[in-house]
Amino acid sequence: MIRAAGLSKSYGSTRAVDDLSFEVRPGVVTGFLGPNGSGKSTTMRLILGLDRPDAGSVTLDGRRFHDLRWPLREVGALLEAKALHPGRSAYNHLLSLAQTNAIPRSRVDQVLDIVGLTEVAGRKAGKYSLGMSQRLGIASALLGDPRVLLFDEPINGLDPEGILWVRTMLKSLAGEGRTVFVSSHLMSEMALTATDLVVIGRGRLIADTSVDDFISSHTEATVLVRSPDPDRLAAVLESSGALVVRHDDASLSVQKLTPDRIGDAAFSAGIPLHELSPQQASLEEVFMDLTSDAVDFHGSTGTEPVT
Amino acid sequence: MTVTASTLSAPESGRAGWTQGVRSEWTKLRSVRSTWVSVVIIVVAGVGLSALVSNIEAGRWTTLGLVDRAQFDPVRFSQTGVFISQFVVGVLGALVITSEYSTGSIRTTLSAVPHRTTVLAAKAVVVGVVILVLSEVTAFLSFFVGQLVLTAHGGRGLPSNASILSQVRSPTIPVVSITDPGALRAVFLCGVYLTLLSLIAFGIGFALRHTAGAISLFVGVLLVIPLIIQIFPASIADPIERFLPSNLGLAMIEVGTRKTDFAGVLLTPWAATGVLAVYATVVVTVGGLLLVRRDA
Repeated sequence: MIRAAGLSKSYGSTRAVDDLSFEVRPGVVTGFLGPNGSGKSTTMRLILGLDRPDAGSVTLDGRRFHDLRWPLREVGALLEAKALHPGRSAYNHLLSLAQTNAIPRSRVDQVLDIVGLTEVAGRKAGKYSLGMSQRLGIASALLGDPRVLLFDEPINGLDPEGILWVRTMLKSLAGEGRTVFVSSHLMSEMALTATDLVVIGRGRLIADTSVDDFISSHTEATVLVRSPDPDRLAAVLESSGALVVRHDDASLSVQKLTPDRIGDAAFSAGIPLHELSPQQASLEEVFMDLTSDAVDFHGSTGTEPVT
Repeated sequence: MTVTASTLSAPESGRAGWTQGVRSEWTKLRSVRSTWVSVVIIVVAGVGLSALVSNIEAGRWTTLGLVDRAQFDPVRFSQTGVFISQFVVGVLGALVITSEYSTGSIRTTLSAVPHRTTVLAAKAVVVGVVILVLSEVTAFLSFFVGQLVLTAHGGRGLPSNASILSQVRSPTIPVVSITDPGALRAVFLCGVYLTLLSLIAFGIGFALRHTAGAISLFVGVLLVIPLIIQIFPASIADPIERFLPSNLGLAMIEVGTRKTDFAGVLLTPWAATGVLAVYATVVVTVGGLLLVRRDA
């Protein structure tokens, strides 16, 4: 269990994390979502005691990081995969880390085996691909067999096979009753992996909920309707209380009416329908909508100016 | 897939402390190539320059005037390598921490050991002990090689209580025995000098967190400050010069306390050692305070 209460952190005049409170429960994968620069990595650093919060506190299973006697045995973290000495072998990297917490050598061999790096453990870590570095980072997080695991963007740089491997790994770690907190800016990935979500934008909490609730509570069910007589159909539907948006290609987006009611209304008015399809908003779209005003930097193509 | 450790049970007592830290830091130090390159440079420069300089000086003995003969110091010739090693141990001391900042691995280190002074202490112990052992071995090796070279040129040892006058009058090149007054101390303090210098660079590394910056400052303290001080008139420069790290080093290695060509009278060897130790303590303490206060 990770519990953050009123966390705030500024760097100079930039407020990276602003009065952030949330809970991450054990047993499920919790996604930590936010656009780039929204404060995810800062929050991770605050949890690990690397940076000192200006206000608020964060506890791991009820204790502050600085009070942990054997930190690696309580919390494992993958922060930056490439944050290691490029000239040191993966084995020695893990060994030096294990020794700080009196973890035996045999466990180093075990975690190398778990992440599939046994064969290349003697190679310099600097020669590793990003995908291999991610696996090494995950191995170091698992070293102390900890109850709490933090992963900052663990699937960056992984091939599809690697992504699937991480997804399975995260779920099985959570299945063993551990607390698994995974940051990502890829909403679609979190939709597949996470059960719970903590969503932030510009350092502020936007949502602390389950993935399912997050989607359903932030989307209005929309039905796409096509008809040879869109104007009359729109009038009929609006008179039944629907909210209708007309598109350039003569299709209609209808809200506040179920597909059944739309079909019935069209039938009784004698209007033919060529398409009647419910639109499921993806987590991606919900997220974009929610955080669009909380993004610091926008690309100049494809997106409308934010008001 | 199972990731649970079958063999891992947490120790009942204790915490991630400095004995574990020392083990870890030793693994880190021995597992990068820069360490071994430094070791080779220190040993080769130490022994090689000792042989070379002793050989040159031996050839000059018969042509030397009285003053030069009085300043003929076989111990100092044998420790010429220090002028190179002092930069190598500085780089090594600084890299131990700045390489962690440049790669970002400091965050991994600090998330495994939450008490930052423990990290600093473990690193300081490993750097200090490794460099002390290395430079003592090199210093004594260099000493004996240097004396062997002088002996090969026909050099002889003087009676151990011989005055500087009998050295000047000696027909043969004077060779120093490790049992001669001051010799053992001079050779031993040579290793201590290098160790304290590496700890100063180590402390600077913690304070600046950048390899290039830390090494520049370290080299500046050793080479540039002495030059700047020479601009000032002797009345100002002389009292300061003896407290410069490089002159403290000279004082520690010199067998007799005498006026050097360029500096005011040096401190006594042990006083110089004490002053340098104070410098190292201050710099490492400042580095430690910054480590504890700053975000990683």
